[in-house]
Parts: sequence; structure tokens; C-alpha cells
Amino acid sequence: MAEQILTQEGVTREQPYSLRYQIRKSVILALDYAILILLSFFFLFPVIFMLVTAFKTNEDQILRDVAGLRAFVPYGPLGLQNFFDVFNRMEFGRFMWNSVFVVGVTVILGLVVNSMAAYALARLRWGGRKIVLAVIIALIIIPFEAVAVPLLLLVNNLPWINGTVGWLDTYHVQIIPFIADAFSIFLFYQFFIGLPKDLEEAALVDGASRFRIYWNIIVPLSRPVFATVAILKFLYYWGSYLWPLMVTRRPEVRPLTVGMQQFFGQYPRLWGDIMAFASMITIPVLIIFLLFQKWFVQSVASSGVKG
Amino acid sequence: MSKKGLLIFAVLAITTLILSACGGAAATPTPEQAAGGEAATEAPAAAGGSTVTLWFHSGRGAERDALTEILGNFADAHPEITVDAVELPEGDYNQQVQAAAVANDLPCLLDFDGPFLYNYAWGGFLTPLDDYVSADMKSDFLPSIIDQGTYQDHLYSLGQFDSGLAIWARKSYLDAAGVRIPTLDEPWTRDEFDAALASLQALPEVEYALDLKMNYGRGEWYTYAFSPILQSFGGDLIDRSTYETAEGVLNGPESVAAMEMVQGWFQDGYVNPEPAGDTDFIDGTAALSWVGHWVAPDYIENVGDDLLLLPFPDFGKGSKTGMGSWNWGITSSCPNPDDTWTVLDFMLQPEQILIMTNANGAVPARSSAIANSELYAEGGLLRLFVQQLEGGYAVPRPITPAYPTITTAFQEAFDNIKDGSNVQDELDGAVDQIDSDLEENNFYQ
Amino acid sequence: MSVTQNTAVSAVPAKGALKRRNEAVTAWLFMVPAALGLIIFLIIPFLMAFYLSLTNTRLISPEPADFVGLRNYATLFNVALIKVEPVIDEQTGAVMRDENGNIEYPRARTILHGDAKYEGLQEAAQFNLFGNHYLFAAGDPTFLRGLKNNFYFVLVVVPLQTALALLLALLINQKIKGSNLFRTIYFSPVVTTMVVVAVVWTFLYNPGEGTINAFIKTATFGLVGPQDWLSNPKLAFPSIMLLSIWQGVGFQMVIFLAGLQEISEEVYEAAAIDGCNMIQEFFFVTLPQLRNTTIFVVIATTILAFQLFVQVDVMTQGGPSDATMTTILHVVNEGFRQQRIGYASAVTVAFFLIVLFISIIQRMVVPEERAVD
Repeated sequence: MAEQILTQEGVTREQPYSLRYQIRKSVILALDYAILILLSFFFLFPVIFMLVTAFKTNEDQILRDVAGLRAFVPYGPLGLQNFFDVFNRMEFGRFMWNSVFVVGVTVILGLVVNSMAAYALARLRWGGRKIVLAVIIALIIIPFEAVAVPLLLLVNNLPWINGTVGWLDTYHVQIIPFIADAFSIFLFYQFFIGLPKDLEEAALVDGASRFRIYWNIIVPLSRPVFATVAILKFLYYWGSYLWPLMVTRRPEVRPLTVGMQQFFGQYPRLWGDIMAFASMITIPVLIIFLLFQKWFVQSVASSGVKG
Repeated sequence: MSKKGLLIFAVLAITTLILSACGGAAATPTPEQAAGGEAATEAPAAAGGSTVTLWFHSGRGAERDALTEILGNFADAHPEITVDAVELPEGDYNQQVQAAAVANDLPCLLDFDGPFLYNYAWGGFLTPLDDYVSADMKSDFLPSIIDQGTYQDHLYSLGQFDSGLAIWARKSYLDAAGVRIPTLDEPWTRDEFDAALASLQALPEVEYALDLKMNYGRGEWYTYAFSPILQSFGGDLIDRSTYETAEGVLNGPESVAAMEMVQGWFQDGYVNPEPAGDTDFIDGTAALSWVGHWVAPDYIENVGDDLLLLPFPDFGKGSKTGMGSWNWGITSSCPNPDDTWTVLDFMLQPEQILIMTNANGAVPARSSAIANSELYAEGGLLRLFVQQLEGGYAVPRPITPAYPTITTAFQEAFDNIKDGSNVQDELDGAVDQIDSDLEENNFYQ
Repeated sequence: MSVTQNTAVSAVPAKGALKRRNEAVTAWLFMVPAALGLIIFLIIPFLMAFYLSLTNTRLISPEPADFVGLRNYATLFNVALIKVEPVIDEQTGAVMRDENGNIEYPRARTILHGDAKYEGLQEAAQFNLFGNHYLFAAGDPTFLRGLKNNFYFVLVVVPLQTALALLLALLINQKIKGSNLFRTIYFSPVVTTMVVVAVVWTFLYNPGEGTINAFIKTATFGLVGPQDWLSNPKLAFPSIMLLSIWQGVGFQMVIFLAGLQEISEEVYEAAAIDGCNMIQEFFFVTLPQLRNTTIFVVIATTILAFQLFVQVDVMTQGGPSDATMTTILHVVNEGFRQQRIGYASAVTVAFFLIVLFISIIQRMVVPEERAVD
């Protein structure tokens, strides 16, 4: 396919106005769109299926439809019954708020903490910098699941500011361990070392403090990477499941993903309800994405993630 | 960004910290706190009575509603005790209890699937109920409930109900296929059952002769529903005379023959290996449904007078079936076990039991409740379940702290067997897993 | 990206040791919050895991844990290759054959249980090589299977996903109408949650009655029958791979897109003047210009591939017959579900060392070039 595109451009340079060229161009364009549309279907079909199913109120019909392409067609009795089921069954709003709060705070604090560390690594001169950087890069490869159980033992023995010991069943047990994050530091670091140094040097000569420089010069210059890290972290923790399951029990603090388990982990599975729940986890993120998508993609693109 | 921006940012960060601290303080009734480590923090609750924390698995809708009703009745009868009930997803229930046990964060009253009791009791986080349960009360319970709740001569748990497991059938199908209707005294033999499957499969409306509820997925269902087949062949999950090895039992010739038969059912196309839904039997596309009491309300409503409840076949050593269900225990970390018993005692009143069993179709745990149950009293539609439980047809799952390992190993083996793996190899593998766990834990002595 | 190539240390004119010390203090102040977080919530748990790996600690047990030294590691890396002799018919002295004419070998378990030196070993594989039959046995075949699957995943998904991402980026990068719309569509799976995605795909993969089967049947005019996607040992892991690519490729596409847009027109014009055709242009201009982008994508995808967990946990729990087992799932199963936290910790530590080793190799094989300043 790459060839076709390239050929198309190649011909442009040779004989842009001939009839043969025009026909060829149209055919290639049509092929192009055919491929793009086919791929669109591939990327969209599970999402469409989820949304359509969520609105089908007849559970038997859902099970029959899944055996064919009718699974993608909204027909038969449609309505919001599955969504009502979810709301009747649990305080969905509470779960939603918990997820938004936990993820929001983790992301915001994470941006500050990790970008500051990355700034020190990228721009300041201090002994041990290279070792710290190497350690942080090595830490990227430890997946959270691998240390989940020791972490559970640990947080259970940590004191909290109100004098209690043990962090279980709280918001902060879902937030604080995940603020500092090696991969975020790495992404910030990558971006910061690519920034020009002259502004900074001028500010230093003017006697500005390092924190002022970080805040007034580096942060404004680095919006794309902040956005990228925020997006990545948001998506990751929005979907986190194992940890909340281990450390929380009360609906007052549990996130959406665990809430969904009350439907998915319950046999027989009621697929209509599950899909309604799944849609409600997905749609807010999709809407945010659609609203900001241009900006969203550009920030990833210009954040230097590309290396 | 300006100074103002910095300020906003700082305030935001600090506010979130404080907010999360508040959230934490409000939602952290750690055992220490609940135990009243500091008298001052305890004051408001102590004045008005005590709070009993309770965890339950999120069962079916009707079960949840019944529990809510029972707890409502309790609140009316005992205003001095507040029950704080938390619902946890069933799929990972045991894991959540384990995590809480590690963290010493268990509630006072806990429900759990029967055979997990032994591991919990061995781990030391349940308190025996012997002092609370009178001899009269004990004798009113089904013997299976007492057996299930007893570990090393102490009674640790009681349930509101026991389970029944059998075969549901349509009389019209059996008649059409010319299959005899078996009874508990005269169950199908293996040959009869084989023939029945073949002739039922031949009926035009039948797609699958046997519905094994494979849509429940890998989990406790496998062990609960299919280990009775081992026992009917003369095999078992573990050597129950010593509880020190599964060698020669789970992988002995009897167990292998049993699982090869089951594998044959899948290979012959009698069983739908992954039904999308739960309705094969109701829809009439499956002829026999190998499942427990919990489908009763659904099946009775949809199949009506045509519905039959039949015992499992006798594969050589008699008709065997499963038993055991979710039951309640009091944790050893509970600061107010007496109040907790008050709650449990209330839940175990025959009237309250009937609220539950009328909703979920289970076998009431107490004789006095059974007598008042339309479905289970003498002549009731589901009387077979009671007969199975009282007559020794129902075999409890192995009474050992190794149970979580045993069931995981068997589930894995079963999953692979149904997909066509070599039966002997799979059962050998399960035995190796079980035996190494036993050895590692010094046989749970 | 690498540790050694950094030259970004601020070039402030040195005004003596004091200034430098001030800068070091500032640096540490900047580092403190993140360093504390990483030390407390990642390094300490990891060191705890290392300590636990030397014991037989169980999650819940009334028995105190014992120090067992390297025993857990010994189990983990205990392997043996055993040459297996065929079964000989005692009367005729001939090699026994089964009904299909294949040579019969004694059962692996008979061999392993029959000799004390094989204690603790389980069958991992059997194969024929140079006319001999071998039994490969291991202390923990599941661990090896998980590791093997991780590598399999890396070897298949990393190239496929990277190539598909590049292809999508090239398609989107054309100046044609609607490319923004397509970009949005291709990126949308990235914003879906993996737990949700896994649940939805489980339903789609339903054997016999599933949508994917129905689709394939329609598309091939019934030539390809229904498959047991998730319960067939041959198909289960590829099915998980497909879903993973579906979910992850959009993000890489965007990264490539950024890389493509940075390539200046002039480079292409120069290539055109040199008489490059389009294929040559792709291989000699586009690809080299995307070198760093590609390296980033490959390394990041590799790390993620080794962390594979949610999909397999939700969809197959590692089955059938460990066909979709991964190392992390094994850690969670052993440590959390089977309560063998001591042993699971040994897996964690071993896994970390293995991946670290691979990353170092990866960096040595493809040293990164910084773009010319």
C-alpha cells in the first residue's frame, strides 16, 4: 500500500495533466479510501458492538444476535433499561466520582513531581545524576503487578496523618503510591534535554532561582509533554483494576473497574448490563478525546516521545 | 505561567492532599480503630450501641434483595445494633478476603463458599461458634451444614441454606426418547445414561443432550458440579483417610475413567462447550440440565409441569452429588463477637431463612424451616435435594486447608480435559500441584 | 534516550565550588518527591520481594516462615534434558508401537518419579532430535511457558504492531480529505480501558455463536468454520495478540505520524533530484529519518509486552493448558491466588533480571543516534 501512495506522488512529478494520470489517480484514491474504510471497521467494530448491545433491552436477543452481524444493528426493543439496571444496582455516580478523583489527583500530582525530577536530571549538575538516571530507566521495567503483594504488606503498615496505621480502603492508598512514576520521569527527561538552553542561561544570569526557571520557562515550553504524560497516566490508571480490588472494599472509595466486576464476575452474565456499564466507563473518555482530539494527537506528536 | 498560576497549582495540590486525607479518615475503620484503640474516637458509636460490619458476595438479584430484607427485619428487631453491610464482587471474592486477612482488615461477619472455611480456620482468622450454638439449635440444622462447618472438632460456620445439585429434565423429552425416569433408589446406570444421551441427542429439537452450564466458566462450579462424578466412580479429589496425598486417588484408574467419560461427552457433541447464554435448557435446545437449586425459580416458571428433577446416575459406587454453599462465620479479629452472633443468630431464624430460600430456591438449612417450605417439605417439587442431603448422597468437598489448591488444580485439569487434553496427564499434573502444596505446608498439621 | 549520550548538563559558567554545591542541593530538592515515591512504593517493595524470595513465606499461614536460601530460585531454574528409550516388548525384544505405528515411550511422570535425582521436576516438553527422543523437564514448567509466551508475544507483536502503525501513519499522512477522521477512528481503541476491551472481545470471540466467527463465515463464504478462539491452545494466544494490537497500534501510529511530519520536504526533493523512485524513497529517506522514532516504539512496546497481564487474566486466566500464561500472570497466580508469596517473589526477581538483561542488550545492539543539533 505504501507503494501505491508513493507512486501516486511520483507520477505527480512527471505528467500531472494527462488523462491516464487522472484515471490512475482516481483509481488509487478509491483504493485508498477502501483501505481506510476497511481499517476503520476493524478499529470500530468492538466499540460499536458495545454501544449497540448496551441499548438492547432483551437479553435473549443479545445472545442470539451475537451469532451474526446483527450484533451491530440496533433493532428490536431498544431503550435505557440496561443503564437503569446499573443505576439501580449500585451507586454508579459514586464509582464514577471515585475514579475521576483518584485518577485526577494521581495525574496532577504526578505531573508536578515527575517533571521536577526530570528537570533535575536533564538540566542540573550534581553527583550521582547518571546513576539515578540509570536506576530510573531500570525501574521502568518492573511492572506494578510484580510487586503488588509486597506493596500491599507495606501500605498496610504505613501511618497516615490522622494517626491511624494502615492505608487500606482509602483514596490515598490508590493515589500516593502511583504519583512518582519512572516512565513519566523518562518522558519528561527526553523532552527537557531537547529544549534550547539559551533562555535558561539568560535567566540564570539575571539571578533567577532554579525553581523560577523551571516554573516560568521550562513548564510553559513543555506543554506538549505535560499533556502527553497526563494522557498516558490518565488512561493507565483509569483502567487499573488489580490494586483497587486488593486494597479497597467499600463502594465509597472503589473505582469503576471494580464496580464492573460486580456485573462481569457474576454468573450468569447479563451482557446487556455489562455492556451498559462498559459503555459508561468508555464514553466519557471517548467524548473528552473527541473534543480535544486534534490537540490531543498534536501534543503526543510534538512531545518528543518520538525519541 | 505567572505567580498566580503557581499559587493556584499549589493550593490545588494541597487541597487534594487534604481532601484525600478526609476521605481516608472517613472510610478507614481499620481493626485498630474499630477495636477502640483510643477511647476518644470510639465515643459516639459506643453511646448508641455497636456496629457490626458484614461482607457478603454479590449473588443473584433475588438473593441480594432477600438479604436486604432480612437485615431490615434485624434493624427493626434490634435497633441497638447497626449492621454495616458491604457487597463484594463474587468473581474474586476469595482473593479479596485473603487480601483483607493479610491486612488484618476483615469485617466481623463474613460469608464465604463452604469449603474455603478450612483454610480460613487453619489460618486462624475465624472464631469457633461452639459456645454460641446450643445442642438443640445444632440438631435442627441439616447434617450436611454441620459437617461443612466443622473443622478439627470445632464448628466455625453456619449457613442459611444448603445447595442441591441434580439433573433437570423435561418429561416430554424423556418420553419421546423412550428414556426411563430414574429415582434416588433406582438411579440411571452408566449404560442407561449413555443410551439416554444418545437418544435425547437424536431428538429433532435438541442441539445438546446435556447442559453442563459451561457458561459459568472456570471456577468453583467445576469442582462442585463434577467431583461427584469422580466419587460415583470410586475416585476422589484427595485421599480422605489421611488428607496427605492425592496420588492414586485423583489420578487413579477410577478418576481417570470418570474424566474420560466426561471428555467423551464433549467429544461426542453432547455438551455445548461455551454457551453464550444461560437459556439452553429453557429454550428447549438442551435436554438435560446438570445444575443446582438456584435455577429452580427460573426453570419452574419457564418449563412448568413438564419439569422433572432427577438424581445423578450411579456410575458404579452409587449416585453421588455435591453439597455446600455460602455460609457465615465470625472473624477472630472482631471486637464485638457477641453482637455479631446476635446478627447471625437472627439471620438463622427459620422465618428469616425462608425469606432467603424462597427467593433463591435453595434448601433451607434447618429442619424447622424445611417443614414450612412449599418446595422442600414432604411431597414438594424439590424434595429430592433434601433426600440427597439427608441420605448421604451428597459428598462434602474435602475438609482440608489445602482446599483452595485442590480446587484450583482440579479446575485447571478439568478445563484442559474438556478441551481434549490427555486425562491421565492432566490429573497427574493436578496431583503434583496438590501434593507439593501439602508437602510445602507440612500437611497442614 | 541512553544514559551515556546525555550532554545536556547546564553549561553555566562555573563560579567555584559553592555555586556547584548550590546546584546540587537544588537538584536534590527537585528530586526528593519523586525519589521518595519511587523508593517507598517501588524500590522497597522490590527489595521486600527479594527478601521474601529467600523464604517460604505464605500469604496466610499460622506457621512462621523459614529462610530457605536460594531454594526458590533452584526450583525456578531447575531443568533437565533426559534421553528417553522406547518401551521394549519383553517377549519379542522389539520396540513397542501404538495403533498408529508410532514408537511408544514410557510416560514422563514414570521416568521423573522413578529416579530420585529427578525429584521436583515436571514435564515441560517432549521432542525428537537426531533420531532420539528427549524429555525436557523443569522445576516450574509454567514459569518457562510464561517466559516463552512473553518472548513469543514480543517477537510477533512488536514487529507486526510497529509495521501496522507505520502503515497507518503513512496512510493518514497523505493529504487527502477525511484523514483527520480516520486518524480519530484508528486512535479511538487507545482510549478504551483494557479491562473493558477484554470483556467485550471475550464476547466477540465466543466460539460457534460469536460475532467474529459469524464475520469470518460470511467473509469466506462459509469455507472457514467456527473456531474456538479462546479455548483452542493454538489459537488462544494469537487471539490475545490480535486484541492487543488492536488496542495499542493507534498510539504508535500517532508517534510515527509525528516523526513523518518532522521530515522536511527538502529531503524528499533532494531524493527526487537524485532520481529515487518511491520505493527507494521510502527505504532510503523515510525509514532512516524515522530511526529514533522506531527505536522508541520498539523499546516501549517490548517493555509493555513483557508486562502483559490484564488481557490474559480477564479472558483466559492463562489457559488452555497454559497456552496464554505469562510471567506476570504466573506471579499474581502464585503469590496472590495460591498464597505462595515467597516463591512468587523469586519469579518477580528473576523476571526483572531477565528483562533488564534484554533491555541492556537491546541498547547495545541498537545504539541510539541523536538527531544532529
